[in-house]
Amino acid sequence: MLDKKIIENVLCAALGKGGDFAEIFVEDKYSSSIKLVGGLIENNISGRDYGVGIRIIDKLNCIYAFTNDSTEENLIKVAKEAASALQGASIDLKLNFMKSNVTNYNPIKIMPSSIEKKEKVDLMKKGYEAAKNYDSVISQVAVNYLDEEQNVLIANTEGLMGEDKRVRTRFTVGSVASKDGEMQQGFYGPGASMGFELFNKINVEEVGKEASRIAKTMAYAEHCPSGVMPVIMDNEFGGVLFHEACGHSLEAAFISKGTSVFTDKLGELVASPLLTAIDDGTIPNEWGTTNIDDEGTPTKRNLLIENGVLKSYLIDKLNGRRMNMESTGSGRRQSYKFAPTSRMNNTYIANGESNFDEIISSTENGLYAKKLGGGSVNPATGDFNFAVMEGYLIKNGKILKPVRGATLIGNGLKVLELIDMVGNDLSLGQGMCGADSGTVPAGLGQPPLRVKSLTVGGRKGDE
Amino acid sequence: MAYRELINKIFHKGKEKMEDLEVYIENSKEIEIKVFNGEIDKYSISESGGLSLRGTNNGKMGYSYTEKIDESSIDMLINEACENAEYIDSEDEEKIFVGSDDYKEIKFHSEGLSTASIEEKIDLVKKLEIEALSLDKRVTSIQECVYKEFDKSRYIVNTKGIDLSDTLNGAAIYVAVIAKDGEDIKTGMGFRLIKDISQVDYKTIAKEAVHEAISSLGAKPIKSNNYPLVIKNTIFADLLSSFASVFSSDHVQKGMSLLKDKVETKIASPLLTIVDDPDLKDGFMSRCFDDEGTKTTYKKIVDKGVLTTYLYNWKTAKKDNVSSTGNGTRGSYKSSLSISPTNFYIEKGNNTFEELIGSIDNGVYITDVAGLHSGLNPISGDFSLSASGYEIVDGKIQRPINQITIAGNFFEVLNDIDAIGDDLEFGLPSLGYFGSPSIKINSISISGE
Repeated sequence: MLDKKIIENVLCAALGKGGDFAEIFVEDKYSSSIKLVGGLIENNISGRDYGVGIRIIDKLNCIYAFTNDSTEENLIKVAKEAASALQGASIDLKLNFMKSNVTNYNPIKIMPSSIEKKEKVDLMKKGYEAAKNYDSVISQVAVNYLDEEQNVLIANTEGLMGEDKRVRTRFTVGSVASKDGEMQQGFYGPGASMGFELFNKINVEEVGKEASRIAKTMAYAEHCPSGVMPVIMDNEFGGVLFHEACGHSLEAAFISKGTSVFTDKLGELVASPLLTAIDDGTIPNEWGTTNIDDEGTPTKRNLLIENGVLKSYLIDKLNGRRMNMESTGSGRRQSYKFAPTSRMNNTYIANGESNFDEIISSTENGLYAKKLGGGSVNPATGDFNFAVMEGYLIKNGKILKPVRGATLIGNGLKVLELIDMVGNDLSLGQGMCGADSGTVPAGLGQPPLRVKSLTVGGRKGDE
Repeated sequence: MAYRELINKIFHKGKEKMEDLEVYIENSKEIEIKVFNGEIDKYSISESGGLSLRGTNNGKMGYSYTEKIDESSIDMLINEACENAEYIDSEDEEKIFVGSDDYKEIKFHSEGLSTASIEEKIDLVKKLEIEALSLDKRVTSIQECVYKEFDKSRYIVNTKGIDLSDTLNGAAIYVAVIAKDGEDIKTGMGFRLIKDISQVDYKTIAKEAVHEAISSLGAKPIKSNNYPLVIKNTIFADLLSSFASVFSSDHVQKGMSLLKDKVETKIASPLLTIVDDPDLKDGFMSRCFDDEGTKTTYKKIVDKGVLTTYLYNWKTAKKDNVSSTGNGTRGSYKSSLSISPTNFYIEKGNNTFEELIGSIDNGVYITDVAGLHSGLNPISGDFSLSASGYEIVDGKIQRPINQITIAGNFFEVLNDIDAIGDDLEFGLPSLGYFGSPSIKINSISISGE
């Protein structure tokens, strides 16, 4: 993507005023997105992202610069400008790049760019029809198709040079159900680090029906009651619980500065002994899988919590320096416009022993959150929140009726201790995770599990 | 302009395949300075941009973009835009605009940022961090202390004769502190949106952040019930921002806004007036023309509780047989044309903040919410948000409250406004620039203990 000699010259210029590490990140990304609303293709946009990010690290300080202009002349100019923030002496560099052998966890069978747009459009219309015809209560359906091919090259003054090709495809359906002047939404959006063969794995009609099923269910649901109660979260996107309640707070960006509730807690019991949690950037073709992270470190499977005991953090190079620890292959960034930092890849809670029916039937009264929406967390306090997209009240060990508009809030450290049942059918969902280094695809998942007591925020008083 | 030759080549070649074409170029310079423990933790500078091409092919609009702005991209841009247009089957007419008759000539670019040296900016963030750490022993560390600046230019040139450009800049400085008291940890934040660095009073920003963290130590939930509520100005601005799409004509036309058929009807308390003001002097969305070259205008969207208009771009206006309101926007050169507000705010009312609080016997003052991107639904208007603040007893702010949720419906809240403060402030800009005074609501459902 960029000549070795140019890379060398740029890295040398970057360390022209001191600093002990320099890195270049080159990105060339082609993406295509198509939007269908109300049965008609409304938007169709494609293009090329192209740019270079240059990072200089001087002990614990980081300087970052980026540009779209990758001529040698301009890159050296940008590197020198960035270096001018330091006042040290030039460092004599002898670089001998070692191309590392990386495992390819994301084999691509059909490049999306090889498929005619017509075929993509036809799939969208199929998904639309299935969603729209699901029920007369469905008043609007939007379908989005997205594919991207991101090529990255990362080289640094440690002699590392790595390249990766990330191909991702996603298909999402959003349905709106209207009833008595009110509107409710349902959403389902599977995606993978895969090419067009994604559509051999998923059925677009089923995706459409699922979005409409949720919208319809919520249109007939009552407002959720408020209060503190046991909450059962289902598998797949239920993994947002761990992602928000704990995952972010394990990121080295917070740990290294002592601004996370999990700082200095390695080896301690921080959760229910039923809980084992993993972040794994190597699950084949999974949404958050990459062969190397955005600092060129190979991704790995990181055991975060084992039987309740904190085993590892998510670490990038810079924060690793502050902590005196090695990178866990967790340095990620949205694009060349962002300096990398520690992030999650695919984060999930491992299977336990209970089955789903057991969990429901042993819950006298509570909330069953079948589908969760997004959430957020303040890593300093551990306070988190997330939305329930599809929820049901449980009465006397049985699922009673759907309820809508619930938000779950709590504190990360406390909620992990309150997990008292873990199911045995783990599955993964796909999300987009926004933080300091931009928005990156993140996989998440869990088996169904129960939190003994959690604050449920709804609009109705206690039942 | 350096791109003139390239644009001419694109038009020349593009005209062979398409009817009308438009090039939109955005360039931005950004600076970000983060300080931690007195040192520069991160210093980021950039100059980048992209070019978007859109054009009509048999009356349908196709889009493409590139960040490699040179001749090597010309063929890709034209072929992609042309092919993308082929698949559009929406019947809505979409044209390249010929331009407005006249444009205001207001300069929104501030010298107070562009002439200040980088050393001055670094010095300011460092001082802010030191100040925030010095005010109270219980402040144990700084979560973030950041200065962020943008300087953005736009060019719109099309084959119908539009040839426009402008520049806009702005900056934000903020500090988030962590306070500890035993096992109890709380955070607080202070920020300012700035157009002139010499005007920044960093001591007050630090004071606000520290006050928010310290005063919320010992916070506990309140009993679940319905309470009268005062919502802090910048937080209500965030809420307004999250629901702004309900005013978009595009959402209305697609049946995704409950404001359908509500123009000229009362949708809110008569106390409420919402303004879209592209001329605002220090606004971060101030502009004389929108992203398709339509001149912008000051307008009241809600006037004393009555909805007066939706926000339009050229395409949606045509569909409703009205004129564009100058709200055609692009998220970036990577996005197609959509609709968003410019500087969008609730007009200030007649009550002081003290009067709002003083009028409540038993209620809650909300100073922060979380989950705005997930805990609310712009289509139904329903929201349920994690919140924190203070209990109000006998007209006075009392103990801190956290781990509660406030839940309701945006449209019901607009009708339930009981009083509006005179303390209009703008929130930290994410997509757009939203402002509000502090607002008193008669009753909202709170879930706590």
